[in-house]
Amino acid sequence: MRALISFDIDGTLEEGDPPGILTIDFVRETKQDGFLVGSCSDRPISAQRAMWERHGIDVDFAVSKHMLADVKSRFTADVYYHIGDREDLDKRPAEQAGFEFLWPHEALAKPWG
Amino acid sequence: MARCGGGAVSTSPAPASVYRVKEGLGLWEHRGKVAAVGIGHSPTFRRWDGTPENSVGGISLEALRRAIDDAGVNPADVDGLVMDPSTTTGAFWPRGKPLPWDSINAYNRTDDPLDGITGLSADWILANSAELTGIEFTSYGVGCMSNAICVAAQAIGDGRAHTCLVLKSWHNLEGRYYQGGANAGNAIPGSSAIRSLWGTPACFGTAVQFAEYCRKYGKTHDMMAPFIENSRQNGLKFPEGYWAQHRPEEITPEDYEAARWIAKPANLFDNDLPIMVSAAYLFTTADRARHLKQQPVYILNHATSRTRPRSLTPTLDEVEADTARTARKIYEGAGITANDLSFENMYDGFALFHQFHIEGLGYRGLKFGEALDFYQTDISISGPNPVSPSGGNIGCGRSRFWMHTDCIQQIQQRAGARQVTGVKPEIAVSGGPMPVGGNYMVWSATPGS
Repeated sequence: MRALISFDIDGTLEEGDPPGILTIDFVRETKQDGFLVGSCSDRPISAQRAMWERHGIDVDFAVSKHMLADVKSRFTADVYYHIGDREDLDKRPAEQAGFEFLWPHEALAKPWG
Repeated sequence: MARCGGGAVSTSPAPASVYRVKEGLGLWEHRGKVAAVGIGHSPTFRRWDGTPENSVGGISLEALRRAIDDAGVNPADVDGLVMDPSTTTGAFWPRGKPLPWDSINAYNRTDDPLDGITGLSADWILANSAELTGIEFTSYGVGCMSNAICVAAQAIGDGRAHTCLVLKSWHNLEGRYYQGGANAGNAIPGSSAIRSLWGTPACFGTAVQFAEYCRKYGKTHDMMAPFIENSRQNGLKFPEGYWAQHRPEEITPEDYEAARWIAKPANLFDNDLPIMVSAAYLFTTADRARHLKQQPVYILNHATSRTRPRSLTPTLDEVEADTARTARKIYEGAGITANDLSFENMYDGFALFHQFHIEGLGYRGLKFGEALDFYQTDISISGPNPVSPSGGNIGCGRSRFWMHTDCIQQIQQRAGARQVTGVKPEIAVSGGPMPVGGNYMVWSATPGS
């Protein structure tokens, strides 16, 4: 089964402002496990790309917060996940775009392998 | 009650007579007789971390001490303090949340336990500044630094103080802003109910004006991209700013055009980021300034708009009429014309109204409807037409004072990597916040003839 995972940054990842509970290594492992991985954040797209480059993670996408529907149209997957920390800016738009939504602690607890 | 000269007086907002609101007042009577000398900035933070030293009171004391040191003044010689008692970026102490007593008790407190945490009185500052033994004059310039510097300049000119600290500080707490305070209540008095209670974002009014501007003059939102890119580039050269200190991220045209709408046509990057920060300036008489550590930056005029729009949001016509009126007041009192401006540092927090300010000023001959085309030319600090060399709120975070600091630093030739090189920094204008309703200052390398 092919799955795509979209990560919010601020409040979700350890690099976020505020820092979240998901580590960069967590993202790296999902990528190594064969998932389509990227970020969907209010940070400038160029800053998202720079962050992934800095960590040596070759993400599949880096988009603005409202562009999850575009991501879904660009990539074919069996299931689409968005992980974020906000009801209004993550959960609601993710579900509207046809993604399954996970809070960071749910993402940590989920068996991804 | 603020401690003044061994006694105590209450600190009040400056009276209306302080502000130069009308046209036809002629040259400012204190033109060139007041000068800015010292600058002090606190570090910036996205939100308060709960420590006493990083509370809004703590960072304010740091900014004040840095300004005094920068000017090379004996703290005991400071006899004036002008400040804004409001420090909120839209964040309020949550109802029912336990008070942060460790931080409150780390300082001498006033009757309000949240003084120094979510607000700041002159009493609190003086209660925690044992070195300021000579204060004889205190006043509030409410709203932002632009207001406070007008009050301080006039106070020095009028002889109410000879060495005056001007302070503006901002706090920001965890969580979302504009969700607490009056907005959390069941009722809001006055017309703010239309905007706040029923939920338009703060940038809504500016977005409406900008939409009308684009329709009237045939412009598009993406024409703002060079301004945003330039502002952030300048901000990243401002070591006191938030983005330079914490997240050195540029905003490219691609980033700007991909950002989500907050209130279309205002997008995310047309809005500024609330932060914690404090800044202080030391103003003094021109005579005293000549003997201090830094080069004096003379104040040629201050001007104020108190125009009330006919309805909730000013129309584009009202905005244009008022920015033109403000410019006439600025130039008349300073005895200058638009041609004398080396650069401009008008307010930008929302980015979409910066062009209203500079078109009203006629900066570089601009007429209404021309600024977005002007943004497509060289507006950098190295060119002949610098726009917002401070980077403003877009480049440095929400403070409403980067523009003033930058004017002083540019004229003192100590803006570092941000120093304008395409023009000689001799006369500059800064101010805001809104195009309709604000306070403005003209700064000069010389006291004028």
